[in-house]
Amino acid sequence: MLKYRHAFVVGLQSNLVYRWNFAARSLFSIFHLVFIFIFWGAIYTGSASIGGYGFAQTLTYFVALFVLQFFIGAFNEDYQISEDIRNGLINQFLLKPINYFAYRLSVFASARVVSGALGLVALGAALPFFRGYLVLPHDGWRIALGIPAMALTALIQFSIAYCFGMLAFWFLEIQGFVILSMAVETVLGGQFFPLDLLPPAVFRAVSYLPFYYQAYFPTAILTGRIGLPAAARGLAVQAIWAAVLVCVAEAVWLRGLRRHTAAGG
Amino acid sequence: MTTLSRYLRVWLASARYSLVRTMMFRGDLFIWALVELFWISVNVLMIEVVYSHTSTVAGWSKYEMLLLAGTSMLIQRFLMGFFWSGIFEMGRNVRSGAFDFFLAQPGDPLFMASTRKLEMDGLLNSFVAAGLVVYSARKLGLHPGPSDLALYACMVACGVVIHYSALVMSMSLSFWITSSQGVEGSYFTLMEFSRIPREAFSKGLASALFVWVLPVVVVSNAPARVMLHGFEPSWALGLCAATLVWFALAVAVFRSGLRRYTSASS
Repeated sequence: MLKYRHAFVVGLQSNLVYRWNFAARSLFSIFHLVFIFIFWGAIYTGSASIGGYGFAQTLTYFVALFVLQFFIGAFNEDYQISEDIRNGLINQFLLKPINYFAYRLSVFASARVVSGALGLVALGAALPFFRGYLVLPHDGWRIALGIPAMALTALIQFSIAYCFGMLAFWFLEIQGFVILSMAVETVLGGQFFPLDLLPPAVFRAVSYLPFYYQAYFPTAILTGRIGLPAAARGLAVQAIWAAVLVCVAEAVWLRGLRRHTAAGG
Repeated sequence: MTTLSRYLRVWLASARYSLVRTMMFRGDLFIWALVELFWISVNVLMIEVVYSHTSTVAGWSKYEMLLLAGTSMLIQRFLMGFFWSGIFEMGRNVRSGAFDFFLAQPGDPLFMASTRKLEMDGLLNSFVAAGLVVYSARKLGLHPGPSDLALYACMVACGVVIHYSALVMSMSLSFWITSSQGVEGSYFTLMEFSRIPREAFSKGLASALFVWVLPVVVVSNAPARVMLHGFEPSWALGLCAATLVWFALAVAVFRSGLRRYTSASS
């Protein structure tokens, strides 16, 4: 564990080098909140209730999603991993007693600590404008289930990014795949609109996909969009998806290594 | 005129190079065209979902909203097709010192850097976005005349220039900060506003900022309104003025950044 703790600390330091980038991104992301506020505000001028939820509840959903993404979202881990493979940097991991998945997960965790802290700063700056619209439920079970759901979401997001990064073993350029998956994840993860606005049959089908657990699920637990039975059942499905994706990530790594050629002296 | 024709020849040579390069990586073209198509579909899906719960957004009907979204996407596809790669790579090139390559060329560095690569996938999907505009116009029973269509085309061109300027300014930050990685996200965040009708902005700070200071709303609303309501002088003049101001600002910021560029090679 000690080596991964060191990886975490080094990751923390290297992320702090780019703190101004993170700060600029978090500052600009406030504009996204403003967009949500204006766009959904305009939608609610035509109807007081959308999908059974008022404007404040929908805004709360998006603000919670905004904060969670800073703490648990995979930003460019796929790109970093693909660069490691393309530039031959993974060779050093093949010669050392270190698990690449665990190493990358440690670096991912450190990056999220930095981006999460800056996300909170962004939220703090935006809060005075949105405070009057936020309505968070007070059920204790939402925190109890929300925290493990967030941890599993982070694992799912990281594992998917890891698998896409591994595509560099087979393809020279993987950005196309990454952006394509991002589009799918953005929609089916509930970042464009809360998934419960979909027709019920589609919503039910989507709830069995891993994307549902990438953003919508923990946010819906914390903001009161799903009840206890659905949250408990969802947590079980989420755990299964997390386990499946970790196994897929390991399998892709082993398969990719068979194709890998470590050149140079 | 000679200068213009020289730049046109340079651009044509870049376009030819890009086309040849694209044909060498046809699989890549397919994937990226799919990516662009998917993003367009995602935006259409969002409008479908929203309008399945309400009949109007800020007074705009579903097909008016699709027309606005189609116009916004059309402008973005042109930006992606003509300029994205060049400007996106500018950040990395400044950091690595590879920007020297553009400084050594016999032409304006901004022109050379931003027009070097054409992305065929973006240009291909501009047909999809244009198709969405035509489809929405037909559903709305609109019959724009040749002058309306010409004005619409001019306004879309102005929109592309404003988007170009915003992106150049975003990426010019790389002259000042260590890494511009992710900075392009700020451009995409700002351009989200181009999918919102002007009427959604009540009077106040948001209206002043996003409609007047940053022309992100005007950029798509002005051409869409030409299709919906015909020529409106205030919108046309506003867009022209915004285009000139933003382009001048982008050039000034880029040149100011360029003065800080010290190269990174040995």
